[in-house]
Amino acid sequence: MRVLLPLTEVSDTSVFGSKAVGLGQAVRDGLPVPPGVALSGALVEAVASDDGDALALVAAAVGPLGGPLAVRSSAVDEDGAEASFAGQHLTLLNVPSAAELGTALREIWWSANSDSAITYRKRVGLFTRPSVAVVVQALLDPECAGVMFTRNPVTGADERMIEASWGLGEAVVAGLVIPDSYRVRRDGQVLERRAGLKRVAIRSLAAGGTVEEDVAAELVEKLCLDDARLVELSGLARRCEEVYGLDRDVEWAFADSTLYLLQCRGVTRVGGS
Amino acid sequence: MTTAETATELRFEPPGPGFWEQDPVHFPRALTRYWTEVHPAAFVAGTADFASFYGMLMGGLAMRYVNGIAYKTTLPAPEEEIPQRFARADAVMTGKLWRDQLREWDESAKPAAIAKHRELQSVDPSALSDEELAEYLERCRDHHAAMITQHMRYTASAIVPTGDFLAHVGDWTGLPPSELLGLMRGASPVSAGASAELERMVGAIRSDSRAQELLASDADPAATLDALASLEGDTGAAVREYLDLVGNRLLDGFDIAEPSALELPDQLLRTIRAAVESEAGEPDVEARAVAVRAQVPEEHRDSFDELFAEARLLYRLRDERGVYSDIWAAGIMRRATLSAGRRLAAAGRLHAPEHLLDADVGEMRALLVGSGGPSADELAARADYRTTHSPKDAPATLGTPPAPPPDSSGLPPGIARLMRATGIAMGAVFGSSQEEHDENRLRGLAASPGIYEGTARLVSSPAEFGRITQGDVLVTVSTSEAFNILLPLLGGIVTDSGGLLSHSAIVAREYGIPGVVGTREATARIADGARVRVDGDAGEVTTFA
Amino acid sequence: MPGAPVDALRTVPLFANLDDEELAQVALLFKTRRFPAGETIVKEGTDAAAFFLIESGEAAVSVRGSERRSLGPGDHFGEIALIDEGVRSATITATTDLACYGLTLWEFRPLVVENGEVGWKLLQSVALKLRNAELS
Repeated sequence: MRVLLPLTEVSDTSVFGSKAVGLGQAVRDGLPVPPGVALSGALVEAVASDDGDALALVAAAVGPLGGPLAVRSSAVDEDGAEASFAGQHLTLLNVPSAAELGTALREIWWSANSDSAITYRKRVGLFTRPSVAVVVQALLDPECAGVMFTRNPVTGADERMIEASWGLGEAVVAGLVIPDSYRVRRDGQVLERRAGLKRVAIRSLAAGGTVEEDVAAELVEKLCLDDARLVELSGLARRCEEVYGLDRDVEWAFADSTLYLLQCRGVTRVGGS
Repeated sequence: MTTAETATELRFEPPGPGFWEQDPVHFPRALTRYWTEVHPAAFVAGTADFASFYGMLMGGLAMRYVNGIAYKTTLPAPEEEIPQRFARADAVMTGKLWRDQLREWDESAKPAAIAKHRELQSVDPSALSDEELAEYLERCRDHHAAMITQHMRYTASAIVPTGDFLAHVGDWTGLPPSELLGLMRGASPVSAGASAELERMVGAIRSDSRAQELLASDADPAATLDALASLEGDTGAAVREYLDLVGNRLLDGFDIAEPSALELPDQLLRTIRAAVESEAGEPDVEARAVAVRAQVPEEHRDSFDELFAEARLLYRLRDERGVYSDIWAAGIMRRATLSAGRRLAAAGRLHAPEHLLDADVGEMRALLVGSGGPSADELAARADYRTTHSPKDAPATLGTPPAPPPDSSGLPPGIARLMRATGIAMGAVFGSSQEEHDENRLRGLAASPGIYEGTARLVSSPAEFGRITQGDVLVTVSTSEAFNILLPLLGGIVTDSGGLLSHSAIVAREYGIPGVVGTREATARIADGARVRVDGDAGEVTTFA
Repeated sequence: MPGAPVDALRTVPLFANLDDEELAQVALLFKTRRFPAGETIVKEGTDAAAFFLIESGEAAVSVRGSERRSLGPGDHFGEIALIDEGVRSATITATTDLACYGLTLWEFRPLVVENGEVGWKLLQSVALKLRNAELS
């Protein structure tokens, strides 16, 4: 079915994938998710095939989001697979307008149907045809962003592990910097703070796309997160667990002093366990 | 043909239960038999002492020697003592008990040690009979052992206040430890070689033209030092006092195989010249401290002042505890041993006087009083072994790696603060020297467990992907999604940037490939095609030359 | 317009024996894909997802590090691994910016199975590759 819905109404994983449904659930539960729409796998494939009607439908729906867009993959059959698919599916940031959206969706469709994606699927036991849905949201311009695992993924200890850097969270996700590293106990007590080496930040460009910028010297080893922010992140971790369950991989960002949840998915293999 | 001449394969087995690691920072070379006999018991006595004094969660540190190579392990604290250790840690942090140790050091330990050093070094070994010399060697050994214990006893007080300062101020300002340690400059004149004796000597030389002439001459350094020490009046006396203080200090390292200052007169003379010529006063730490303090949030500034004061007060103990303890005592033992060695070599019992350094004290006695002892060949073989083997030829670790660190939640605040201070200090204060010694070892974040050895391939872009073959170790700045295509081929991943939650770390864990990320300089330090070992448990990458 | 332009397929040898109607149906299955110059499109040893037809640009084929031949407009690649469901047998790199039309296994297989003419042509091209491999 070629459908699209605002995130708040998304609930069918067989159509929209678990990432989109997860975000939809987060919105319904009052978690701070940037507003957006979800496109079904079939709709994404139609746009990838250069179907004009499909593209027009999408363009009309994303108009109200205004400004630059973040376009994220939401694979439809990742549920049940013992894998995170981390990095397998494209996230395209700062797509400036509908025209570029068509190209963006095609790229996302192909990334789900690439040799490496198929190789990855076979390796984790999935032999069926991939289907990739998409979430389109307003793009943030964060001061700092990163990733939080609600359980330490290397040792399995019951503590939150947070990595943060300046600008868009891509810098942390794509491993472009040595991020700050924080470990916070479940009750909020900070166990460790280690400043990273954050030489670059990813920021969005006015004309679309993103750019890698050098970080000012005095910020390279300055901690991004103070106690107040760590408290907020701790709270977010708890709320994510309440909504989704334990062992979550959370992408977050602080923009205009507000904490946003960008993605929340299950952590599959945890070391030490 | 003696046993020592038979070629045998060296076996490295764990010297005890637990996990043992090399300590190439302190012991970059193989050690003498003397050292391997004396050090272990004296060392653990000192570390157990500080661990208990500070209420630490370890029983102490132990060192053992396997084929002359040093290995260290951490001993667990006795279970039944843990509650009182928690209490002790609290008491230490609130009562600043390191000040008691500093007072003890200044008022009794240090003066007593110096007195004993002077007493022993005033003996002329060449004037002693064989029996007397054997006894003297035993006294020097006992003193050396006591000084090793003393050095370790004061270890924690040297680093806890510094680490406490680095931890708190680091949190408040975001400044890295390396920068904050700069504020300690001037707090330890001993590190810069200063002492009252040096000052007096410099003052005397500056007002004595004969001394200045001697200092400027090109003559043989040993002869020049003799001449300076023989000058009449205050100058000569000051020089003799200075040489008395520093002459028997080992210039580098801890083993009696290392040279002492008087044996390297050229270096000693240069130190004196530099001291006489330099105009340097105390570096301008005040201004920098004010600048750092300004970056501290207002509500913490009083704490900053307190922590800063403690750190500076205790900082000199870091170098004093070695220089006035075992670094001096080792030089005295060396002097005695070389004297005995000359005697035995003259009697045909040794091929060279220095070979006696490779005997233990019991063997030295046996040789002197004629009741047996190792042959000249045996000792020569030991010396040869020691000078041709290094930690690099030996396994980096022995024994089973430790379990993951225990959950530190539930620790009382006193001990948590203590552990954080110690951890940071060990990393910052000793870390930089660690890096100098690990030319072939790279550290990063342990992203994905397991150990893998393979060929390193430096790949910076998809254009170079064709160079990777099955089983290679990918070494790159950071991995983008484009690199996913390589994953089925790789045996390990090493990156310059990236954290534990970056996608390459996540994928490495999922693929079960050992991974070390955030090394900063893997692409600069590892050569393409080199054989490497990726240790994803320890977060280390070792290159095999 | 969905799919590839029919004109682009008309001159492709693989589809030479199809009539216009069949060609139009085949064209619908394709999706455009672009690769920037220098990108590794296919890497030896990995599993395979897609078959590609080059519309414009040039690509280089290499096996075990040595370059074998180059491909240009009208050429196709990637079918071997889709046919035997094995791993990629060669590495293909875009020498210039490349514009392609692609099919995944899930479009390719039904296309071949249901369309004997396409199947025959594919067999011929694979046989040619086999002969070339035996000679080199």
